[in-house]
Amino acid sequence: MAEGGDKAREEFLSEAQEIIESLSRSLLALDASLKAGTSDPSLINEAFRAVHTLKGLAGLFGAAKMGTLSHRLEDVLDGLRLGRMDLTPETLDILFNAVDVYGRILQVERDSLDDPLMIVDDLVGRLENFGAEDKEEMSPVVEYDLDPGMLAVLTEYEEHRLRTNIEQGLGLYRLRVQFELATIDKALDDIKERAKTHGEIITYLPTGETTSADTIELDLLMASRDDLATLIGSLGADNVVIEAIPRRGRPSRAPSQPLTTAPEARQISSMDAPSPSALDLADSSDVAAEPAGSLRSVAQTVRVDINKLDHLMNIVGELAIVRGSFSRLTERLRGEGQRQLAAELQRLHRNFDRRLAEMQDGILEVRMVPLGQVFDRLARVVRQISREVSKEIRLVITGAETEIDKLIVEELSDPLMHMIRNAIDHGIEGAEGRQAVGKPEAGTIALNAFQKGNHVMIEIEDDGAGIDDEALIAKAVSQGLVEAGEVPDLSRDEILAFVFLPGVSTRDEAGDYSGRGVGMDVVKTNISKLGGVIDVQSETGIGTKMTITLPITLAIVSALIIRVSRQLFAIPLNSVTEAIAFDESSVKIVDGREVMTIRGTTLPLCRLRKLFQFPQGQPDDKRRFVVVTSLGSRRLGLVVDHLLGQQDIVIKSLGKSLASVRGFAGATELGDQRVCLVLDPAALIEEVLVGVDTREDFARSNG
Amino acid sequence: MADLATNQSRVLRNADEAVREFLAFKLSGEYYAVALTRIREILSLPSLTPVPRAPADVIGVCSVRGLLVTVVDLRRRLHLEEPAPTRQTRILLAATEDDETIGLYVDEVRQVVRLAESEIEVAQSALGGELSDYVVGIGRPRDIRFTSGSSPGGDNILILLDLSTIVNR
Repeated sequence: MAEGGDKAREEFLSEAQEIIESLSRSLLALDASLKAGTSDPSLINEAFRAVHTLKGLAGLFGAAKMGTLSHRLEDVLDGLRLGRMDLTPETLDILFNAVDVYGRILQVERDSLDDPLMIVDDLVGRLENFGAEDKEEMSPVVEYDLDPGMLAVLTEYEEHRLRTNIEQGLGLYRLRVQFELATIDKALDDIKERAKTHGEIITYLPTGETTSADTIELDLLMASRDDLATLIGSLGADNVVIEAIPRRGRPSRAPSQPLTTAPEARQISSMDAPSPSALDLADSSDVAAEPAGSLRSVAQTVRVDINKLDHLMNIVGELAIVRGSFSRLTERLRGEGQRQLAAELQRLHRNFDRRLAEMQDGILEVRMVPLGQVFDRLARVVRQISREVSKEIRLVITGAETEIDKLIVEELSDPLMHMIRNAIDHGIEGAEGRQAVGKPEAGTIALNAFQKGNHVMIEIEDDGAGIDDEALIAKAVSQGLVEAGEVPDLSRDEILAFVFLPGVSTRDEAGDYSGRGVGMDVVKTNISKLGGVIDVQSETGIGTKMTITLPITLAIVSALIIRVSRQLFAIPLNSVTEAIAFDESSVKIVDGREVMTIRGTTLPLCRLRKLFQFPQGQPDDKRRFVVVTSLGSRRLGLVVDHLLGQQDIVIKSLGKSLASVRGFAGATELGDQRVCLVLDPAALIEEVLVGVDTREDFARSNG
Repeated sequence: MADLATNQSRVLRNADEAVREFLAFKLSGEYYAVALTRIREILSLPSLTPVPRAPADVIGVCSVRGLLVTVVDLRRRLHLEEPAPTRQTRILLAATEDDETIGLYVDEVRQVVRLAESEIEVAQSALGGELSDYVVGIGRPRDIRFTSGSSPGGDNILILLDLSTIVNR
């Protein structure tokens, strides 16, 4: 389908992706409302609209399979919204399945995979069997004295809503409203929203009686369960006239009703499409009924390739280097006695500095997206897995609005999915198991996100059986990760940390204990790559909680510049809690590891000179420093020779040829064109505290 | 004699023989060459930042207009002696197969050499040991003289290195 150039294709793929995600959200909401026993017609409408737009997109890009699928789905959703069929869990299953199938279609398109997409044909086949049972149609509409002109242009959907409302005994009202052309979209939405408390606006039509060039008068047909006085009290205004539409004594002739299934009738009704996209308009034949103001696109957003933002960020980084030269130049001028020039330059410098910081913040803000993007996908996974394994799961999400760097969100979805799957597979007990211990039959998984300083925390908590220590220890001992004799000395945290070791949590043999399953070591590696850490807490019989701590952004960070021997290094400030003077005499050896006591707590130490195998020649009387780094609940003191100050840096990753070198998050350029390595506190903490060496030995002996 | 040799080589090359371009450089007194297509740029020696705990033949990283480049010392890779840097010392920027740009530290860059197939001796048989992994052949250019440190006036040879084995290890 790659006609129309790569760029257009990219646009198509990302737009389709967004629409599919919104479809998924609507379906999840429908699922929830179905379970709660309520129904919200606007949700079915949203889903319908999404599918309809997808059909349009597919047509434009010649994605035949997607077009066929959308067409069938549209029929089903149309049947649902027109009340021709009822929404059942089975219908929802098929619709959810469609979301996955759409995803697969996009994947195949994106990666130009060779997949005949039989799943689409399967689904289309299943959809064709749907929607056969039409309902008997009875029209009570005739009882009302409605303007035949208005009735003539009702879409099938509007007509259905009108009938339903009358059947439910709501009264009909006409609102004649003058709108400002400039603000009509917003005003119309506004009035629809307010009308919701009383009933709903079924349709609207321009009256054609315009009083001035800047206004347009619309007749709004509204169904309401409240009386006229209440409506006037609530919706009335200078520009709104409300009248009740009288009921006729007896039904007269059958009104002219457009009960066709012609394309126009299936068109998205203008009333729920406040922002028609170009696509909708392109094949829309009822544009004339649209108020003039809505022809302008109200979308205020543009879609941007993340690489372009990276490029901008790099430029900001380069500018920061220029800024460094400014201050050196200022110093030089001052040194040469050019005080006035120096002062002027200094002022410029400060101004430049401020603007640059603003620009940096602006670009960072653009990169931020809500975690909800990935949470929505997880909700779908939960629904799917819980059906597969026949466990009832309640997913409780909080903090979906927490924002984080787009790149991090993308990389998060796989690890989170693994963890959720584990929680359902191994964490939550079966229904009988839960009843036996007096837990509610439905298991709960809580997905919480919140911001904490420069970090975002994500918690995945289940109320399942918890991790079985004994099984975990047995596994670790059998893998040779720990000597059986050492086990009694291990703290509970140390034991739980075994789940992250390769070989322990792989599924093959782990099926017989209810611990975590699928490759937690992989999850941990992926999280570390994002500069994050993962911690686990578990109470037997009560549940397990995994906590992920992530930096908010990968793009730019404040860093502490330090010197070890003759080389400068940067340490990201978000993991630095403090820096203190180092006193050699306060060092104690505990369990073969150097520690010091700081305000009553023990701090493990790591001498960077030693770690980096620099010469040890420094005399002991020279002042040195300890930079205290922490991630999650773990702390490590880095012994350095000198602190140079704080600087904003753009971290660039080291090339693949250095991927195996431990302890660095990347490198950055300081003002003088020299490259400065950026330490990775997460990796250092890991290496020093957990002892990666054992693990590497293990990997070697198994590799 | 020399003229004769040159004429002869021209005659040979006219016979539709495939000619490949190599970049010749000096490592520890000997001449080496790599296929020119893989070389992106030649830089004079920038300031290098050593990377603690990196493989021994990585002498550091540098920034080339904002791009972070890992610099490999070919002399260490090939177990040669390491003369101190001079004004002739250069970094060759080369593209690896997975599109990383890598820097190769060389003592001196000489010139681009065009070699016909008949001027290349395939090496597998000629050499043993570790070197043979990197060496794809021996070039014997007919119309350019390279005076090698170890054999002045002797063999006129270029050791042809395979960049992909060097950088991808």
